[in-house]
Amino acid sequence: MGLLSRKARAPAAAGEKGLGITRKYNLTPGHSYVVEESPPDISFDAFVNIVSTLDSEGKRVIGMAVSRQHSDLIRQKYGLETTPIFWLATRAGQDVISPTNLGILTHTLVQFVEEHPGGIILLDGIEYLVSNNDFNKVLRTIDQVNDHISQSQAIMLIPVDPRAFDSKELALLERNMEKFSTKPKK
Amino acid sequence: MKILVVDDSEAFRKVMIELLVRVGFHDIVEAKDYEEGMQVFRKERPDISFVDMILPGKTGVELTKAMLSVSHETKIIAMSSIINKKMIREALEAGAKDFLLKPTNEIALNAVLTMWSD
Repeated sequence: MGLLSRKARAPAAAGEKGLGITRKYNLTPGHSYVVEESPPDISFDAFVNIVSTLDSEGKRVIGMAVSRQHSDLIRQKYGLETTPIFWLATRAGQDVISPTNLGILTHTLVQFVEEHPGGIILLDGIEYLVSNNDFNKVLRTIDQVNDHISQSQAIMLIPVDPRAFDSKELALLERNMEKFSTKPKK
Repeated sequence: MKILVVDDSEAFRKVMIELLVRVGFHDIVEAKDYEEGMQVFRKERPDISFVDMILPGKTGVELTKAMLSVSHETKIIAMSSIINKKMIREALEAGAKDFLLKPTNEIALNAVLTMWSD
């Protein structure tokens, strides 16, 4: 219980300073996207680009990332200064979510979406979650967060290494989400 | 429209050129570093130049400034495999128009080219 109360609350999120570059990815609010890739380069590029640029109405999008990579590494590589980043790991510490505690993960993601309608979540590390939990439990977690994404006009990006899942699991993951393609729609 | 790609990685240049061809650009020249970049730039006068910020010897920021001192008409897109905001701001201050994270993809490349190709 102490663990839950200490870690469940996401740190206050603030928008990243604009970089003055082009918004390259136009993802639809209220939708979640599966990006089949490894490493998750496109997902991070899209996430960083969206939180560092203004949308068509001149609004800034607030983001939150959860990743198997340590938050310091992510901040260093992608230059994220104010975006909350959680590390999926079994170690104790601030801004760490245990892969076995799907309850805290769900709570953290849902709370962010409710507090930041129109925000964007990057959920990286699905393979790690599945290796620590039953696949169906992870799927239920994603579906639960996805419901809130739709309701709050937020966006969720989930990079998935297709080699880590069988075709049935991939189909289930993509059932309620859009498959993000890097090929532009003709 | 002529495009110049400056990057010290031959493999990346190859991938980038393939992507550019795929999105409809065929007049492409390439260079591996500052010196070759300037040589090709002076000869070919590209409309858009994709410049890696981390080059052996002189940097992409220096190359951006040098290219713009020769011609203000070219649009320079800075590229890097890391998003270092200080470096991006330096590139934009030097005159680059935009930034692309490497490796890039069709969507990101298309968005930048749509924005900056006339």
